[in-house]
Amino acid sequence: MGYEIYRIEKDRARFRDIVRGRLREDLKKYLSSTDLLGQRAGRTISIPVPQIELPRLRFGENQGQGVGQGPGEEGAVVDGDGQNGEGAGAAGEDPGQHMLEVEVEIDELAEMLAAELELPNIEPRGTKQLLSEGGRYTGLRNQGPRSLRHFRRTFKRALTRTIAEGKWDPAEPRVVPIKDDERFRMRRTAPLPESSAVILHMMDVSGSMGKEQKEIVRIQAFWIDTWLRSQYKNIEVVYIVHDAVAKIVDSEEFFHLRESGGTKISSAYELALELIQTKYRPDQWNIYPFHYSDGDNWSARDTSHCISLLRDELLPRVNQFCYGQVKSAYGSGQFKKDLEQALGSAENLISAAVDGRDEIAESIRAFLGRGR
Amino acid sequence: MVRTPNLSARLKREAQRAEDAAHAAGLDFFEVLFEILDARDLNAVAAYGGFPRRYASWRFGMDFERLHKGYSYGLSKIYELVINNDPTIAYLVRSNSLMEQKLVMAHVFGHADFFKHNVWFAPTERRMVQAMESNAERIKQISADQGQDNLDRMLDRALCLEGLLDPYLPLQGPRASESVGRIDHARASFEAVLDGRPVRPPEPTRLAGSALPTYDCLAFLIEHAPLEAWQREVLRVVRDEAYYFMPQRQTKIMNEGWASFWHSRLLTGGLLDGSEIIDFADCHSGATAAQSGQLNPYKLGIELFRHADRLGHDLFRLRKIHNDTSFIDELVDEEFALENELFIYRDNPKGGGRQVADRDWKTVKQQLLSSLSWAGQPRIQLQEVDSEGALVLAHMHDGRDLVLQEAGQLISNLAHLWGAPVHLLSLDQGQGKRVTAGEAGISVADCELAVERCGAPASPVERGDSKRQAG
Repeated sequence: MGYEIYRIEKDRARFRDIVRGRLREDLKKYLSSTDLLGQRAGRTISIPVPQIELPRLRFGENQGQGVGQGPGEEGAVVDGDGQNGEGAGAAGEDPGQHMLEVEVEIDELAEMLAAELELPNIEPRGTKQLLSEGGRYTGLRNQGPRSLRHFRRTFKRALTRTIAEGKWDPAEPRVVPIKDDERFRMRRTAPLPESSAVILHMMDVSGSMGKEQKEIVRIQAFWIDTWLRSQYKNIEVVYIVHDAVAKIVDSEEFFHLRESGGTKISSAYELALELIQTKYRPDQWNIYPFHYSDGDNWSARDTSHCISLLRDELLPRVNQFCYGQVKSAYGSGQFKKDLEQALGSAENLISAAVDGRDEIAESIRAFLGRGR
Repeated sequence: MVRTPNLSARLKREAQRAEDAAHAAGLDFFEVLFEILDARDLNAVAAYGGFPRRYASWRFGMDFERLHKGYSYGLSKIYELVINNDPTIAYLVRSNSLMEQKLVMAHVFGHADFFKHNVWFAPTERRMVQAMESNAERIKQISADQGQDNLDRMLDRALCLEGLLDPYLPLQGPRASESVGRIDHARASFEAVLDGRPVRPPEPTRLAGSALPTYDCLAFLIEHAPLEAWQREVLRVVRDEAYYFMPQRQTKIMNEGWASFWHSRLLTGGLLDGSEIIDFADCHSGATAAQSGQLNPYKLGIELFRHADRLGHDLFRLRKIHNDTSFIDELVDEEFALENELFIYRDNPKGGGRQVADRDWKTVKQQLLSSLSWAGQPRIQLQEVDSEGALVLAHMHDGRDLVLQEAGQLISNLAHLWGAPVHLLSLDQGQGKRVTAGEAGISVADCELAVERCGAPASPVERGDSKRQAG
C-alpha cells in the first residue's frame, strides 16, 4: 500500500497528544475526584475523556422502541443493548458509546502526576543491590525425570548416532534413542535485580470515618498506587482495615466497608509487622505502609504502643511510613500530634493532614515528594 | 476487467472467476480493483472512510485507535471494504482464508453493481479518490496558512453539522454534491486568495439548497455566513464528502442485502470447491445472523431480495430505483413479517431491559419506515433569519424527541459560524421548546411557536415514492 497508510500513525499520534493535553489540563480535577478509580486494568488506565466527541443530534428517551427479529411471545425479554435496535439504516454509527475512554499507560499518568506535583523518582534503597533467584528451564543435562526429557534434542542425538553407526536406511527411517541419547531440560538460576515493592494500605474504619473520608482515602490510595507502580516493576498491594481489631480485606471491601466501634490503631500496625516479618521480608521487598485515620485512638496507652511499634519495629524495616489524617466531624486529630511529638525526627515517617478533597494533591506531594 | 495489482496468482485467478460469474449472472459494474492489505492497514484505510489519501485529521487517528483496539481484542474484524468510485476499489484482508476471499470477492461485485446502478448513487462523485486527494491538498494548505489548531477548530465545527443536509437534494436538479470544478464561488475566491489575486464578486449562481427554507444548513452557511474564504472551503469539503457518503446510509440494508444475495448465489452456483461448502455456510450464516434485539442489515436485506424473487419481482429493477425506505415500503408484507419473525420491542415499564411488544406487521413496518426515513437522522429545517439576525431551525418532529442538551451544543457551533444566536425549535414530550445558543451560552425555554412549526410535513416515504417514479 505504500507510505500513505502510515500517515495514520501521524493522525493517531496527534489524537494521543490531544488526549494527553486534555488530561494534563484536567489533572487537578482528577486528583480530587473518583473518576479514575476502578479504571485500571494491568498496566493501563482507561480514562473517560469528555468533550472529545462531537455533539450529535440524537433521539432521546421517549423513543424507547424499535424493530427486532426473532422468536418469542409478547412480553418476552429481548437481548441487545443500548439504542442499537433503532437505526438499522444508520450504518457506521455507534450510538451506545457516548463517552470515549482512552487508555493511558500507568507510566504516562504517573509522569503527568510527577510533573504536576514535582515528584522525584524513587532512589534505590541503600546501596545494596537486591537480588532474587530467578529461574528458567534453559539448560540441558543428561539425567533427569522423564517429564523433562527434551524430545527434539534426544531424537537429534539418536539420529546422529544412527547415521554414524551406518544403520540409517532412508527407505525405513527408524530412529530409536538409547539411554545415552537422552537429554533433559535443566533449570538455570540467574540472579535478577529485585524491583518488588509492597504497599500496605491501612485504614481506620471505625464509626467516625464517614463516606467522604473514605472517598478521600480512596483517591489518595489510587494515586499512590499509580505512582509506585510506575516506579517498581512488581507491586503487591495489601489492604488492611481496623477498628479495634485489624484484618486483611480485598480492595472492594477496603473502600466500602463501614464498621463501627472503637479504634485500636496498634492492631493494624501489629498486623503489618507480622506481614513484614513473614511474607514481605525487607531484604526482598521495598515496603510502603500507609495509614489513614481521623486521628482518634482508643487510649493514650495504645498510642504509645503504636509509637514504640513504629520506632522499634516498623520504621527500621520500611522505605517510608506515611500517615494521612483525614478530617472528620468526630475525629480529634490527636494521633498526628502524638506521632509528630514522639517521632518527629524520624526521617522516613511522614504525616499529613487532609482537611478536604482539595488537599489530596498536597498530601500526595508530601508522601511521595522525598523520593524514597 | 478486474485489476489486481498485489494479489497472488491464486487470488488473481479467483478474482477473474468471480468476475466472470458475476457478469454471467447479469451484474454490471465499473472496473474493479482489488488490493490486499494486512488487518492493521485495512483498519487504517477504514479510519479514513476508505480513502487512504483523505485529509489528515486527529479524528481519523481516533477512529483508527478504536478500530484497531477492537481488532486486537478480537471484538471486531473488518472483512472487506469497497469504495464507490470508478474504478471501484475493494480491499481484501491478507489473513482471510481462500474461501473467505472468494466470498468477499463475490460480495464486492454485488456492491460494485449496486454502486453503478442504484439511482441514489447516480449523483455521487465517481472520481472520489481524486476528489478526496484534492480536498486533502487544500486542507493541508489551509493548515499551513491558518495553523493546525485553527483548522482543527473549524473542522470540528463543520463536522458536527454534517448531519444537517438534505438527503433528497442530490436527486433534485443540478448535482449538488458534484461541485468540484463547478460553479463554486467559495472555491474560486479561495484560490484567488492563494494566488494573491483580488477576490471576484460573488457570481449569481448559488449552491443548490442554499435558499431558505432549506435542510442543507452547510450550503446556506457557505453562501450566507460571514466567513473567511478558508472557512468556506472547509465547509465545502465537509459538505461534499458528507453528500458523497449519504447514499450509503440511505441504502445500507439494500446494498448489503444485494451483495449478500449475490455472494450466496455465485458461490453456491459453482465458485466454491466442494470441500469449502461447510466453511462457507458457517461464515455466511455468521454474517447474516439475526440477533433478537437488533436488525442485521445483511439479514434483512438478503431476505427482502429473496422475498422479492419469490414474488416474481424484477430484482435488477428493484436495486435500481429504491432506497431502504421505499424498498421496505414496497416489499414488507404480512408474510414477510411473519416469516422473519419481526417484532416491535419496547422498554419494559417495570425496568429490566426491553421486551417484545407487538408483532402486528403493519405496526412493525411503520416503525421500520420511520426509523429509516431521512437517512435515519432527525429532520432539521433551517427556516428563517429572524428580525434580530438569528437563525431559526425547526426539528420536524415525528414522535421521537431529541436530546436537547446535546442539540444545544451542536447549534452553538452553528452560532459561532453564523456570528449571531441560533434557535432550534422542537417538542419535548409534547411541550414546545426553544433551544438557544449564543454568546450567553445554551438555554432551553418553553415555546408555543414550536408546536406550530415542528409538525411533520409530508412523510418522507411519500417523498421517496415520488422520487421513485421520477427515477
